[in-house]
Amino acid sequence: MAENTIRKIKWFWPWQDEQEEAWLRSMSQKGWHLSSVGLPCIYRFRAGEPRDYVYRLDYQTFPKKDNQEYQQLFRDAGWEYIGEMSAWQYFRKEVKEEETLEIFTDVESKIAKYKRILPFLWLFWIILIVVSPIGISIDNPYPWWGAIRATQVFTLLIWLFFTYVIIKLTLRIRQLKRL
Amino acid sequence: MLRDDTNKYLPLTESTYYIMMTLVEPLHGYAVMKKVDEISKGTVKVGPGTLYGAFTALEKEELIVKVKEENRRKSYVLTPKGKNVLMNQLKRLEIMTQNGLSVIDML
Repeated sequence: MAENTIRKIKWFWPWQDEQEEAWLRSMSQKGWHLSSVGLPCIYRFRAGEPRDYVYRLDYQTFPKKDNQEYQQLFRDAGWEYIGEMSAWQYFRKEVKEEETLEIFTDVESKIAKYKRILPFLWLFWIILIVVSPIGISIDNPYPWWGAIRATQVFTLLIWLFFTYVIIKLTLRIRQLKRL
Repeated sequence: MLRDDTNKYLPLTESTYYIMMTLVEPLHGYAVMKKVDEISKGTVKVGPGTLYGAFTALEKEELIVKVKEENRRKSYVLTPKGKNVLMNQLKRLEIMTQNGLSVIDML
């Protein structure tokens, strides 16, 4: 990897997109400009002159063809498209006076963004219930006792993870609704 | 008015109201953003994220329809159903304004 690029791995929860945007902006102010994003939580930065870029995140899943039109719409409005990480779309714009620095200009569309994530979370949440062997009661010494117990614990932990994300995201939506 | 199902879309959000109003003629996304800014005298700004979401939702509900697609830009225009929704919104706003004006002296 070239010397003028760095790679960082950083975790953000889905309701922390504003913190993520602020972090990317602070990186640019230090002269590290986001060049690409990728799984799992990988951010690549290229060195350059420090600039005040604001970063904005949208959440959209769509076929490739629609993505072209989607990007064009943002480009027309002065936003540079950087990339996608699990349906999160990354944009940036340099801060200038009298320019709109938001891609979402009302609360309703911000809420709609979070609501687009929820169905996927619910889907995983339900799948986990269906496939999990949690309901299986087993007696030791059953031959696969250890393996089944380990799978049960593992599935339960992932299920709890999704439950947590759904609750936090729902609370974030509620918080926005009160504004 | 009670017989049609347009009331379920009301009240429109301020952004949606303005977006729909610009679509009395076919326009693509960026033209909508500029026109909303212009006709609202700068009081309403529509960002691309908000606009994309609105286009998707309005098209799904058949309130607008795609009429042209060139250089990766889609143009939309109001459908008869969309016009109906906008008209009913306008009537509501008119009543709201009249009600407001009737108490304005007491404010």
